[in-house]
Amino acid sequence: MLSSIFEPASIAIVGASNNETKWGGRILKNILSGYKGAVYPVNPKELEVQGLTSYPSVLDIPDDVEMVIMAIPAQLVLQVVEECGKKGVKGLVVLTAGFSETGKSGGELEKRLVSLVRKYGMRMIGPNTLGIVNEPFNLNASVIGKLPRPGHISFITQSGTLGLAIADWTIDMGIGMCKIISTGNKADTDDVDLIKYLDNDSSTGVIAMYIEGITRGRLFLETARRIKKPIIAIKTGRSKRGQKAVFSHTGSIAGSDEIYSAAFKQAGILRVDTIDEVFDAALAFTCQPLPRGNNVAILSNGGGASIVASDECERLGLNIVDLTPETREKIKAVIPEFASSSNPVDTAGTVSFKIYTESIKALLRDPNVDALIVIYVHTQLSNAIPPAEAVVEIKLKCEKPVIACWMGGAGTEQGVDILKSGCLPNYSVPERAVKALAALVKHRDFLKTAKIDDAMPENLEG
Amino acid sequence: MSLVLTEHEAKKLLAKYGIPVTKESIAGNADEAYAIASQIGTLVAMKISSPDISHKSDVGGVELNISAGDAKATYDKIISRINNAVPDARIEGVLVQQMAPPGHEVIVGLKKDAQFGHALMFGLGGIFVEVYKDVSFRVAPIGIKEALDMISEIKGYPILKGLRKKMPADIDAIARVLVSVSEMAQKENIIELDINPLIAGEIQTIAVDARAMIEG
Repeated sequence: MLSSIFEPASIAIVGASNNETKWGGRILKNILSGYKGAVYPVNPKELEVQGLTSYPSVLDIPDDVEMVIMAIPAQLVLQVVEECGKKGVKGLVVLTAGFSETGKSGGELEKRLVSLVRKYGMRMIGPNTLGIVNEPFNLNASVIGKLPRPGHISFITQSGTLGLAIADWTIDMGIGMCKIISTGNKADTDDVDLIKYLDNDSSTGVIAMYIEGITRGRLFLETARRIKKPIIAIKTGRSKRGQKAVFSHTGSIAGSDEIYSAAFKQAGILRVDTIDEVFDAALAFTCQPLPRGNNVAILSNGGGASIVASDECERLGLNIVDLTPETREKIKAVIPEFASSSNPVDTAGTVSFKIYTESIKALLRDPNVDALIVIYVHTQLSNAIPPAEAVVEIKLKCEKPVIACWMGGAGTEQGVDILKSGCLPNYSVPERAVKALAALVKHRDFLKTAKIDDAMPENLEG
Repeated sequence: MSLVLTEHEAKKLLAKYGIPVTKESIAGNADEAYAIASQIGTLVAMKISSPDISHKSDVGGVELNISAGDAKATYDKIISRINNAVPDARIEGVLVQQMAPPGHEVIVGLKKDAQFGHALMFGLGGIFVEVYKDVSFRVAPIGIKEALDMISEIKGYPILKGLRKKMPADIDAIARVLVSVSEMAQKENIIELDINPLIAGEIQTIAVDARAMIEG
């Protein structure tokens, strides 16, 4: 059960150390910083580690141990896994490197590791993982600096250091996260297991993935098709072309990347190109409803920004919809005479709580409008707070998605904080806001076209 | 072990799955070439049939628009050219086949991918596939709806719908070919397959040339 890894009642750290610059020291410190369950350092050379009694082996721990984290040399791993099996441990997180990623003999060692893990009915993340984080459980069993802010995004990452950097970045950006999982070599637990687990995990709202390769492709595809939570993936290695020795046109054109794109589309996985886009989209999913359709309205105090947004909408297949005459009348009543009441609505530089409130209200009530992008361009003469208060207040009463774009950096901070506290996804430039909205629209399409409830086809293992 | 099928063998495989293919037979000598051409009853294409030659026109192994009356002489011409160009090639004879009816050239392909299994490809043939790579992909198996999506997804789709009063293609018939290819992928252990071109006309949709590599 993967819950033994993510929500263990007790944890032993084999290779625990007093030296926090070592992995076994860092990870123990991270666990102790938040985790509420029992923690047992294992290190035969120490009597005490970071203030806790240290045990010579897992078998010497007097109580039950549900999960074990290993930060020990590769040649010791099999023996410790055997001991864990005998102890009745349920879950393993193996940080140790030196397995299949190093070549053939490492691959052999990994095979023996997996069969040992399975012999005792345990589950394992890794080897060669940087650990896992489960924020709702206050568990940081990783080498990531600190726990993220609470949130509903769960992030599965294959790359070690890049994944780690991304995870640290999300924490710096204040992006709320639920789980961060460094998969390592995926020798036992792979992407299929993890997306299934996260689908059933009530604290996960969105699954974000950094993928270099998938092990059980067809099974992954069919599993993802049956998951209704949004799955956003960045898949690297696009540049690899099809084989060069050409037998057929198909063989030369159909590189693995093209096939990944097709598979993701069939599975209803949103494939994005950049790391920013993964989390921009994920943020929108965690705090906004899906739109009914692709008809978008844009409100802005600056014409240029709304044109940029409109162009990006068109590029991504979002429709800048015609507003009803009633909507336009209501907007005309609050904006200056020379401003534009047609979509995109441009207040011609004027900003106030009333203008934004009345315009947003009218736009969201318009039956033609499925989603709204509210842009505020900061100037020395305007105040970023009132429009932010307006959008947050209206949004609380509405079922349509609203995406915010407060542009200008310095001077907008307080407005941006209001948006954040009101769970309004805010982006620094219009293109990012539009891309995030396009992801919501795309997922809505996937729910109609790609996602299914049918039973899984048989014989997909391997 | 992989095994390369000749054009004729590949088309027999397609026919087994209900994909229309050109009327054709292999002639072992000039007289047989005449007899087959007469029986087909229209102008024919004549192509060298050899497991050692996959790019037939590069070595002078293809002649088009041949009448039954010219079939004998064309047979001898092709054989002697091949004997000169590829002296070691094993020659099964000359494939005599009906000339393709009018229609759009499209390509239907299949490739076994290490991660996802069989993947299907669809696109417009000729320069569209060679230069523009205007193609769409799906992981097999697919149904008729996904096949129709694959077809409408390519940029050149309006051409198939009949741009500027040109002949439209029978889109449903192309989709049925895609579904049939999806079905045969696993059953026949195909590594790679091209139907290139599949001629997609208004009334007739027919595989004119095909190449296949299977697990033997």
